[in-house]
Amino acid sequence: MAAAVAEEEEERALLGPGGGSGSAEPEPEPEPRGLGAACDPRRLPHRLLVLALMCFLGFGSYFCYDNPAALQTQVQAVSSILLRSCALTSSNSTPVIFAVGALINAFWLMEAGRFVFGIGGESLAVAQNTYAVSWFKGKELNLVFGLQLSMARIGSTVNMNIMGWVYSRVQHLLGHTGHSALGLTLMIGGTTCLFSLACALILAYLDKRAEKLLCKEQGKTGEVIKLTDVKDFSLSLWLIFVICVCYYAAVFPFIGLGKVFFIEKFKFSSQEASAINSIVYIISAPLSPVFGLLVDKVGKNIIWVLCAVVTTLASHIMLAFTFWNPWVAMCLLGVAYSLLACALWPMVAFVVPEHQLGTAYGFMQSIQNLGLAIIAIAAGMILDTRGYLFLEVFFSACVCLSLIAVVMLYFVNHLTGGDLNWSAKKREKMQKVTATE
Amino acid sequence: VRSREQCGHVSGACNRAATGVMWRLLLLAAAAGGVRREVFESREAGGAAAELFYPPYDLSRFSWGSVNGTLNRTALTAEFRGGPAGEPGGGFANGSLAFRVTAYEADGRDGALPRLLHTANSSKVEFVLAGVAPRGNGSRFVLEVATVEEAGAARRLRSARSIDDEYTPTIFETLSLAAEAPGAVLSFLQWKATAYGSRSPRREDGIRCRAHELHAANCSLPPSAIVRGYFGDRPAGACSVSALNISFGGEDGDVYQEKRYLSWSALLGFGQPPADSFSPLVVAIVAVALGTPAALLLLGGLAVLLARRRRYSEYEPIN
Repeated sequence: MAAAVAEEEEERALLGPGGGSGSAEPEPEPEPRGLGAACDPRRLPHRLLVLALMCFLGFGSYFCYDNPAALQTQVQAVSSILLRSCALTSSNSTPVIFAVGALINAFWLMEAGRFVFGIGGESLAVAQNTYAVSWFKGKELNLVFGLQLSMARIGSTVNMNIMGWVYSRVQHLLGHTGHSALGLTLMIGGTTCLFSLACALILAYLDKRAEKLLCKEQGKTGEVIKLTDVKDFSLSLWLIFVICVCYYAAVFPFIGLGKVFFIEKFKFSSQEASAINSIVYIISAPLSPVFGLLVDKVGKNIIWVLCAVVTTLASHIMLAFTFWNPWVAMCLLGVAYSLLACALWPMVAFVVPEHQLGTAYGFMQSIQNLGLAIIAIAAGMILDTRGYLFLEVFFSACVCLSLIAVVMLYFVNHLTGGDLNWSAKKREKMQKVTATE
Repeated sequence: VRSREQCGHVSGACNRAATGVMWRLLLLAAAAGGVRREVFESREAGGAAAELFYPPYDLSRFSWGSVNGTLNRTALTAEFRGGPAGEPGGGFANGSLAFRVTAYEADGRDGALPRLLHTANSSKVEFVLAGVAPRGNGSRFVLEVATVEEAGAARRLRSARSIDDEYTPTIFETLSLAAEAPGAVLSFLQWKATAYGSRSPRREDGIRCRAHELHAANCSLPPSAIVRGYFGDRPAGACSVSALNISFGGEDGDVYQEKRYLSWSALLGFGQPPADSFSPLVVAIVAVALGTPAALLLLGGLAVLLARRRRYSEYEPIN
């Protein structure tokens, strides 16, 4: 099937503009280097295809990634080992943590598997980000990040809801419980990875092809990660890293520890607590593309990030110091989280030369994970010794740190005349100017 | 403050899955300016109609070990440990029930969970069940506490929910049973809504602790020598007895079944019960965390204004 799609694409490319797809909108785009009026990769429908592939790539990956979390109770029952829930569930901890959390018996093998998958999953995310920028920069970049996020969330959610059911069916089919049923279920989950792989292969082919057709230089799209690039990172980029680490550190570990909080402080039942705890992800799935589109249309990324961070701070303070209905605070958190993801990640593409993009995203991803792992451990210790009020104050402090970084980024960008906070109109104008030069 | 404690009879009731333990604790305390008395006593645990109770453990029929071996004069603690008399087998074969009392010389806070805040005018009573086998799967222990009060004082059970769980992590509810005269709190029993399933309690050892409604006990003075000695032979009606059931364990699991240990602490004292407030560390972090971005915003705004002015002044000569 992959081949068929690819062939079709090739054909479309050969047919030229309007030949392959009638719906192709004529784009008021400058044609730099006087190249390829017939080049399909510059057209919207082609980009949409690439976008779809990217999204499904993420879907499969996240679906697999969270499989063990969805089957947590079953895994616990089968391996009859006290499961350090942080080891398997936190999909955002660095792979190393999985290894550290490695436990005895056959469990070590599962952990080893997670370790490999962790490495794969994280580099996939980096590759996905880099591809997104190389295909969509200056076009629908924010929307693409939003869509990717929402596909990932849908992947996780579908997985959470479907894997338990699949397990019970498999159990029914095999007639007994135990590791074979679990193994088979995980295998079925694993097939989505094959689907991802197919998407990745097509994507790689299309990317190569576009590169050839558009005469892009090899390696210029930033697929190569060079650690020495780190020393060339600008202050703005470092500030973006700080925002990212501090912000996500105040969201994911909180959600990881949130269930007991809602049960104890707000007297929720266990089901209600699970529901409110997952509302952030449920909200982010439909809202991310909307916000992505909004940020695309308006521009002004820093202002959006500022709004998201302030909203998050407000929601944490609400949870910490009031008994107000936590649904309000959690919904705010969900909205802010989707807004931040759409506005923050694409900013990297504006402050980094294209050839360093892979390094920048890889670095961002890895320090985010490192930060999450450290903060998750710290948060657990704080909770055990000082309770939820202190934990919430700690998370608020993290968000404040991120707020400081946003404010600094705003001024740094303002004083150095950076393009981070341009409106979409100005950005378009400047793009035209550089194109005609 | 001198505290003495005696355990009287316990009766219990039982239902489908609950073990009732009743206990009676009598405390005589001499406070400056006069003698006041409180009696906490065990009585029959009535229980909700839907609940079934096992036959209660009657603490008045327990045999109690000598307190001399457990008296610690420097730490001001003593432990009264006992088990059912003449019944070597049963649930108490490998276990015991104990009341540990601690007196305080000064205001402060306990080091171990639940880290109750105390005054010099109060002491701590800890109820400890160790190794006692439950009589059914998923059964819960219920402790009945009874108070004897002279006419004129009103008893009130209060539950205060606070946002501050810094000293007792994840526990947001503090309960107090207070004897109130018009305009003043005479004495109180205060506790956090949790018990712990470990000798060195940690957060995850928490066992949910629930207080049922305070109800008038259906008896007059308990037949205890100390009560009688304190109140004398008063006519019925001069003193009233009310009882309160406190149950341990919740829907969330069988911590006791696993750990075979339960300890519940309460503070017993005169006057207004102490109340927690935010720790200076929390206040400091909040102030710094919120203050810095605001200050930065101000500074940055100034810097931008200055930069703009300078830029204009640089342009002027050209004009």
